[in-house]
Amino acid sequence: MLVLSRKCDQSLLLGDDIVVTVLGIEGDRVKLGIKAPRSVAVLRQEVFEQIQAANTASATPTARPALKSVAAALRTRAQ
Amino acid sequence: MPTTLEQPLLTATPAVTSAEPAILFPDGLVGCPDWKRFVLLVDEDEDLPVAVLRSLDNPDIELLVTDPTLVDPHYAARAGVDANSAAVYCTLSIGDDGWITANLLGPIVVDRRTREAHQVVLSESGYTTRHPLARADGA
Repeated sequence: MLVLSRKCDQSLLLGDDIVVTVLGIEGDRVKLGIKAPRSVAVLRQEVFEQIQAANTASATPTARPALKSVAAALRTRAQ
Repeated sequence: MPTTLEQPLLTATPAVTSAEPAILFPDGLVGCPDWKRFVLLVDEDEDLPVAVLRSLDNPDIELLVTDPTLVDPHYAARAGVDANSAAVYCTLSIGDDGWITANLLGPIVVDRRTREAHQVVLSESGYTTRHPLARADGA
């Protein structure tokens, strides 16, 4: 892993079109500004992992009830 | 626990068919970059609040999805989506505790015209990946 030190208001370039700027440091929190093309997903790592886990969980057909019983449960909720 | 748990989802609902062309995720899903080609399976006999996104590459991958307006009528707008041009789905999971939860943090947005889809992340929305909806056994 590359390790760099940056001060407030200093930036890093990732490739040609991604800029990460240190906007502030408060205690153990670092505030970062990220400029990236819309096509680049910028996610907190834990959010990425949560969504990956949700995708995998949703796709796991084991122990899943029939579609109509899920529908019935959701309808019960809606009433 | 529901007595129907051991029934495979789609064999238990033989009327489920695909009425629509394939949905393509050019980047795959978040954390699952190989999940690119799906078809939406809906029950043709009944208007159910759930459907299945089945992978065209790996038939073992079936995502249970719902319409998030069930949870929040303004969900599409909050997700920054024009409901006229894109359809929004949220995946459902059924936990070991029997709860059906919806991933409201990472909805699937499908362009109605091109059928291109992306899983978007509503980072600052306060939504979670496990929003509880109902118990699978109806309790």
